[in-house]
Amino acid sequence: MGNKVIFKANIKRHRGALIGVFILVFLACGALGTVLNVWLNSGRYVHGELTRAGFGSLTAWVSGLTDARSLANEMENLPEVSSVEIQNLIFSNYTVDGQESDSEGQLILYHSEEIRYRFFTDDLHGYQEQPEAISPGEIYVSPSLVSMMGLTLGDEISFLIARSGRDKVFTVAGFYEDPFMGSSMIGMKGFLIGEEDFQEIRQVIQSSGIDALAREGAMLHIFAADPDTMTSSNLNQTINDNTSLSSYVEFIHSENAIAGFMLILQNAFAAMLMAFVAVLLFVVVIVLGYSISSGIEADYSNMGMLKTIGFTGGQLRSIWLAQYLTGILGGMAVGLAAATPLSHLVSNTTLTTTGIYIPAHLPIGWCLLAFGILLGLLMGFIWLKTRPIRDIAPMKAIRGDIGAAGKIKVSRTPIWGKHLQLGIALRQLTTGKRRYAGACMVAVLLVFIASMIGRMDSWLGPDGKGMMDAFNPADHDIGVQVFGELPMEEVEDAIRSYTDITDDYLLAMPNVAVNGMDYTANVITEPERFHILEGRTCLEDNEIVLTEFVAANLGVGIGDTVAVTGDSGSGEYIVSGIYSCANDMGDNVGMSREGYLKIGQDAPQLWCHHYFLKDTTQKEAIRLALENAYGGDIHIHENTWPGLFGIISAMQALMVFLYVMVAIFILVVTVLTGSKLLAAEQRDMGIYKALGFTNRSLRLSFSLRFAMASLLGSAIGLILANFLTDKIVSAAMKLAGISNFASAPSVVSVLLPALTVTLLFAGFAFLTAGRLKRIDVTILISE
Amino acid sequence: MKEILLKGTNICKAFPENGTETQILQSVNVEVYKGDFTIIMGASGAGKSTLLYALSGMDSITGGEITYKNQKISSFSEKQMATLRAKEFGFVFQQTHLASNLTLLENVTVAGYVSKTASPKEIQERASRLLRQMRAEKAAGRLPSQVSGGEAQRAAIARAMIGNPGLLFADEPTGALNKTNSEEVLNLLSGLNQNGQSILMVTHDAKAAIRGNRILYLEDGQILDELTLPVFKETEAKEREETVTAWLSSLQW
Repeated sequence: MGNKVIFKANIKRHRGALIGVFILVFLACGALGTVLNVWLNSGRYVHGELTRAGFGSLTAWVSGLTDARSLANEMENLPEVSSVEIQNLIFSNYTVDGQESDSEGQLILYHSEEIRYRFFTDDLHGYQEQPEAISPGEIYVSPSLVSMMGLTLGDEISFLIARSGRDKVFTVAGFYEDPFMGSSMIGMKGFLIGEEDFQEIRQVIQSSGIDALAREGAMLHIFAADPDTMTSSNLNQTINDNTSLSSYVEFIHSENAIAGFMLILQNAFAAMLMAFVAVLLFVVVIVLGYSISSGIEADYSNMGMLKTIGFTGGQLRSIWLAQYLTGILGGMAVGLAAATPLSHLVSNTTLTTTGIYIPAHLPIGWCLLAFGILLGLLMGFIWLKTRPIRDIAPMKAIRGDIGAAGKIKVSRTPIWGKHLQLGIALRQLTTGKRRYAGACMVAVLLVFIASMIGRMDSWLGPDGKGMMDAFNPADHDIGVQVFGELPMEEVEDAIRSYTDITDDYLLAMPNVAVNGMDYTANVITEPERFHILEGRTCLEDNEIVLTEFVAANLGVGIGDTVAVTGDSGSGEYIVSGIYSCANDMGDNVGMSREGYLKIGQDAPQLWCHHYFLKDTTQKEAIRLALENAYGGDIHIHENTWPGLFGIISAMQALMVFLYVMVAIFILVVTVLTGSKLLAAEQRDMGIYKALGFTNRSLRLSFSLRFAMASLLGSAIGLILANFLTDKIVSAAMKLAGISNFASAPSVVSVLLPALTVTLLFAGFAFLTAGRLKRIDVTILISE
Repeated sequence: MKEILLKGTNICKAFPENGTETQILQSVNVEVYKGDFTIIMGASGAGKSTLLYALSGMDSITGGEITYKNQKISSFSEKQMATLRAKEFGFVFQQTHLASNLTLLENVTVAGYVSKTASPKEIQERASRLLRQMRAEKAAGRLPSQVSGGEAQRAAIARAMIGNPGLLFADEPTGALNKTNSEEVLNLLSGLNQNGQSILMVTHDAKAAIRGNRILYLEDGQILDELTLPVFKETEAKEREETVTAWLSSLQW
C-alpha cells in the first residue's frame, strides 16, 4: 500500500519527465514499428506475389524466335527444369507527353483467367476486381509511371511500332500491381493490353519488315526442379550449356534478383530509417539517464526520509522502475498502435514509387520481439541508474547532503564585462557540465545521423548525378542512338547548333555470357573512361574488367582468365581490373570495342554515341530538337533515369522526416533538461534578477549554454560523420550494387546539420526559459 | 526640508489564500528621505519585508503607487525595473543570496557590469576596493560556499554598493549572523550612511534599529508610529538603545 502511495506521488511529482520519456519512446517505437512493418511486409509481399503470380526461379526475356514453345520444351527436357511458362509480349519504346521512355516497354497480352495481376482502384488507395478483358485502345500501367513520367488516368501513351509514324496510341484505363517490374527503380516496364491490340501490333511488326521498331518476344518463367539445391546461377549456366536460350535471350534474372530490384528503395530507406531509429533509441537512453540522475538528486532527502520510516533501497528502486515504466510502456503501446496507420500512410504515399501496395498488417511477432528486447534493455538501464538510491544514508539525506550526485565542482572560466551573458553561460555550463552532457551527446548522435544522410543526399545531388555516375560505366552529358540510315554527322551538326561537343565516345550494351553466366557487357571505344577501382582498364583486346560483384560471383580476380561468349563466338579474356557500375545491381562487365568484336557482331544500331557538351544546360533543348527532327529513328538519353525521381523524392521525404524528428527530439530533450535546470537554479535566477538582469538577458544566457553544449556535440558529430559516413554507406550501398560511394559534400551541406541542431537547441532552450518570467525575485523573500 | 527619495502612497498588498485574500499591507503611506538610514520595525508577520520588497519594486502591489525620484515606479515595465535595480537600488538580503557559482569578487563585479555605471576595468577596481573596505578581500577569490556567513554578507553589501545606488535596501541583514559578524555588518552600514548613502532596512532587532535616524513601526499592515533620531554615533549607542526600547515598549513591542 505504502509503495502505491509513493508511486502515485512520484508520478505526480515527475510527470514532466515521464511525459517527455513517453513522447520520445512513442516517436522512436512508432518509427521502429513502421520501419519493421514496411521492411518485413514489403519483402514478404514481393516474394509472395512473385510466387502467386507464377514467376519462375529464373525469368528470361527472349526475342527473335519464331516459336517460344519449342525453346521452352528444350529447357523442360532438362532434369534441372521442372517447367517453363510463356508470356508473350512485344518490346517497344514509348513516349508519354513528349517524354521518351528510358528503356523499352513490354506490351503484355492480358488473360483474365490467369489471375496473375492485381488491379488498383482509380484513386490508388486499394484494390478492385480485375477486368474481364481490356478493351481496344486501353492500357493498364504500373503506378510507378505516375512518379516516373507524370502519367495519370486518361493520359495517352504512344508506342513506336514501326517507322513512318506507325505508332500505336493507348489510353491509360487503370493501374495494376506489377511485382516484377513495378518499381520505379526498374527502367523496363510492363503494360497490359487486350488481345485485339496485341494481334494488331504483331501484324504491323510482321508487315513492316526492316522498318519495324518494335519486336516480338516473350518472358519465359523457368521453374527449377529442385529450387532448394539448385542455385539460380547454376541453373542459368546449365540452361546456357544445354539449350539454345543464349541465342535469343535479351536478359535473364533470378527471382531473388528481381525481388532485389523491386525492393531496392524499401530496403535502402528502411536501412536508413532503422539506423535513425537506433539513434533515437540511444537518445531515449541518454534522456532517461539524465532524468533519473536529476530526479534522484531532487528527491534525495525525501528518499532519506522514506528510509527512516522503513522503506528499503530495493523498494524505492522498484518504485522508480515502475514510474518510468509507465512512460515507457505507454509510449511503446501508443507507438505500436500508431505504426499501423503510419504504415498505411507510407503504403499510400510510396505506391507511385514502389509500384506495390505494401500491406500495413503489423508484423506483430517481430514488433513484440523488438519491443520486448528494447523494454528489457531499458529496464536494465533504469535498474543500474537507480543504484545511488541504494546508498542513500537517511540522516545525511535529511540534513541536506545530497550525496555524490549533488557535489558540483565550480569551474573558474572568465566572466567578461563586455560579454557578460556569454561569460555567465560558460560558467554555468562548465560548472554543471554533467547536466549538459546529455544535450551534448544527443547533439553528437543527431548531427551524426543527419550529417550522414545529408552527405548521401549531397552525393545524390538535386538531379541524381551521383547515383547516375554510379550506374553508368562512364560519364557523359547526352547519349544518342540512331536506328536507321541517319548519318551521325547530321545529328552532331544539330547538336552543335546549340553548343559545342567537347568530347565523345561510343558505348554498346550487348549481352554476353561470362563463364556460362549471362551478363550485360558495357563495350566502350575508350576503355580508359571506365571507373576503375582496382587494377587497370581493359586496354588490350583480350582483356575484360568486372564489377566486384561479378568477380565475387564468378570467383575470379585480377589476372585470372574467363571465357566470354558473344553472339558470334567465344574467347578467353584476362581480368585486368575491377570497375564500378551499379547497372543491373552490379551484374555487368566492361570490354573494349576491339575486345568485344572478337566474339560479337558489329552493327551501327548497337552503338550509342555519348557526348560531352560545352553548355550542359542545353541538354533538354537538344533532346527535344533531335526528337522533333528524327522521331522514331533516334533514341536520345541524358545522364538521368526516370527511377531517379523516386529516389530523389524519397530522399527528400526522408530528409523532411529526419529533421522533423530531430526537432521534436531536441524539443523534448531541451524542455526536460531545461526544466530541471531551471528548477535547480531558481534561487540564482532570482539573484540575477535582483541585480538588474532582465528576463530576456537571462533567457539568452540560458540558451547560450545549450548552444555551446550542442555546438560541441555537433562538432563531434560532424567529425564522426566525416570519418565514418563513406565506410558505413559504402557497406550499405554494396547491397544495391554501388561500390564506389564517396561523399564530397559542399560546405553548406556539411554545416547544415550542425547549425540546425545547435540553433534548435538554443531556440528551444530560449523558449523553455520563458518560464523565467514566472520566477520572481520574491523567491528570495520566501527563504 | 529633506528631499523625498522614495514615496509609497496607499500601498496595499494582498495574497490569495484558500479562495479569499489576506491583506498584508493596508493603505500604507511612507516616505524615505535622501541620506536617511530608515528602519522598518515590527513584530513577526507585521508585513515589514513585504513593505520593503513592495517599495523596492521586487514584489508587485495590489493597490496604491510608489514613486522614486518622482518617477512612478509601480507602473514600470520589467525592463525599466531591471534598469532601476541595476543602477539605482542595492539589495542586501538576510540569506546573503550570492550566486553560488561565482566567487565573492565575481558576485560584486557582475553586479557592477550589469549596472554599466563604469567601464569593466573600473568596475573591477571598484569591486576590489569595496571588498577591501568591507574587509572581505581575503575571501575575494572564494566561492560563497567556502566563506563564513559574515564574509558572505560583507561581500553582499559590497555587491549592493558597486553601482553607487541611490538607495540601499537591507532585509534583516544580520538575521543569520552571530553577534560579532552582526556588529561588523551594522558598522559597515552605518559607515556607508555617514558617507551619504540612503538606506532602508528591515529589522526586528532593537540593537540594529538604533543605527537608523528614523524608525517606522509597522503593525497589522499599517505604520503605527515613527521615531526620529539624530545621526548614529558609537559613543551614544547605549542611550540610543534605551530610547528605542522605551519607544518600542510604548507600542506594546
